[in-house]
Formats: sequence, structure tokens, C-alpha cells
Amino acid sequence: MAKRSMQEATFLILTALASGSQHGYGIISDVSEISAGRVRLRAGTLYTALDRLRAEALIQVDREEVVDNRLRRYYRLTAAGEDLLATEAERLRTHAQVALMRLGPAQRVMT
Amino acid sequence: MTDCTGLERRYRRLLASYPRAFRREHQDEMLAVLLTGARDGQRRPGVADVANLVRSGLGMRLRPGAPRSVVTVFAAVRVMYLGAAVELGTIITVFASLDSLRAAIAERTPGYTSAQWHAELLNRMVPLVIAAAIACGVWLWMAWANGRGHRWGRVTFAAFFGLTTISLLSGLAEGAATYAPADLIAGVVLWVLALAAVVLIFNRRSGGYYRQAPTER
Repeated sequence: MAKRSMQEATFLILTALASGSQHGYGIISDVSEISAGRVRLRAGTLYTALDRLRAEALIQVDREEVVDNRLRRYYRLTAAGEDLLATEAERLRTHAQVALMRLGPAQRVMT
Repeated sequence: MTDCTGLERRYRRLLASYPRAFRREHQDEMLAVLLTGARDGQRRPGVADVANLVRSGLGMRLRPGAPRSVVTVFAAVRVMYLGAAVELGTIITVFASLDSLRAAIAERTPGYTSAQWHAELLNRMVPLVIAAAIACGVWLWMAWANGRGHRWGRVTFAAFFGLTTISLLSGLAEGAATYAPADLIAGVVLWVLALAAVVLIFNRRSGGYYRQAPTER
């Protein structure tokens, strides 16, 4: 059975963690920046995803801090998470390249 | 710094839509994220946040206990939810069609009294609705038990499948006159769903999941 492609929110969360560990709010800000403000993750969506990614051993808890009496838990990618993100990024690049090539130079300038 | 107590209390109440185990693990950090994202002086959670929290909380409660990687059990739990939905659909259909049913009978039977209608309700419709409601509960219970990998869940579901089969066969044996077409279709659909779930939970690939003790997960 072919593996399902990754959901965009999952892809962006893993991407946010690719350069180092981050806490929940940091991931939300980073995802918003990566997607140029298009994707605004909400807490419910984020933690549903983080819980699942942790269960699938794609991410793990890096450390915990208490700031202003509030818990901050930092997450980071596991080796399996890095592999999966790399595979998915490569897959997206291949598809995007083919799409741009077939569209021709006129459309490419527009982007 | 803004006074967050009112807002925090409201967020806590919303987080109650999540399963307890999830709350134990994530409630504090989720509150931190929600409060960090709040505007200065904000007193109430925004509509979009409320919807998002309730939706993901309930979604998490309904999520099959089995991980996605155990494909067969994960699919079986989905099928069981579908079974519960069909039973619920049956109940709604019965309620929605009561008036037209009464009109149809009255047209066929001159001098049809309300006493006769009440007898019809009591003897046919009430048992039908009660049976569907119980069956709906059983589907949900089985979805939970099999999702958690309880071995008794598998056995109980097999027994439930047996009952479904008997009920369908006896309904068919009584003849099409008592088994209205819609009722027959619902019966067949439910039986097919039960069969699919049985095949999935007794699949070779499901075996390992049931062999682990549920507490280990």
C-alpha cells in the first residue's frame, strides 16, 4: 500500500523543529513565518499533532522549563523524524519541479 | 502583565473536552501556549479557539485507541463507529417518518383509531428504537474495547456478529411482508459492517496487538 502523503500542518511542524528544539508557542510562530503568515496553527491542532508525532517516535521531548510559572516543553526531531521529513521534502521538490517545468517559463516568472 | 485568571479558567473548562490522559500530559503547556497567544486584556477565548479546542478534544476521544500502524484494528474501529452511526441513522429515520407512516396506515385501514396507532407504536416502533439504541451503544463499546486491544472485546464482538446474523436471518425468514425494504437494507448494511469488522479484528495482522496486555500501551 502506498504511503499517504504528509499533511501540511505536520510537514510545517516538523520543518519548524528541523533546525533545533522549540516549545509550543515557538512552533506556532515559526510555522506562521515559514508559511508567510498563511498557516496559523491553533493550540488544539498543534497538540493533537505533537501527541501523534510523539507516539510515532518522530519527535521527542528535549527539555522542560518553567517560565513565569508556566510549563514550557521543548520538542525536537528524532532520527526517524529527520528521515521522514527529508523524504517528504524531496518528494515535494520533485513534484514541484515537474509542475514548474511543464507550466513553462511564463508561469515561472510569476512566482 | 494581564490578569489571566478568568481567561485561564475558561480555557481549562474547554480543555475538559480532551481525554484525561491527554490532559495530564499536555494541559499545562497548552494553557501556557493559549495564554501567551492571548491579546492584552483578553477575557474570553475567541470563537475560533473554542471551536478548535472542542473539535480536537472530541476528535481525540473518538480516535481509535489502536495506533494507525496497526492498520487492521484501526480500520475495524472505524467500521464500528460507522455501525454506531447507521444505528443512530435508523433511530432518526424512525422518528422522522412516524407521521407519514401513520398517514399511510390510516389510508389503507378505514376507521383507523388512535388507540390502534398507539398499539402499533408500542408493539413495533418502541422495540425497534430501543433495539437500535442498545445496538448503537454496543458498537461504541466494542470500538472502545477493540481499540484498546482487549481480548474480550474481540470475543464479545464475534458474539454480537452472531446475534446480528441470527436477527437478519430470522427477519428474512418471516418474509418480506414484515421486513420492510428500508428495514431490510439497514439490516443488511449493518450485517456487512459487522462482517467486515470481524474479518479485520480476526485478521492475522491484528493478532499481535491483542496479545499485548492493554496496560502496556
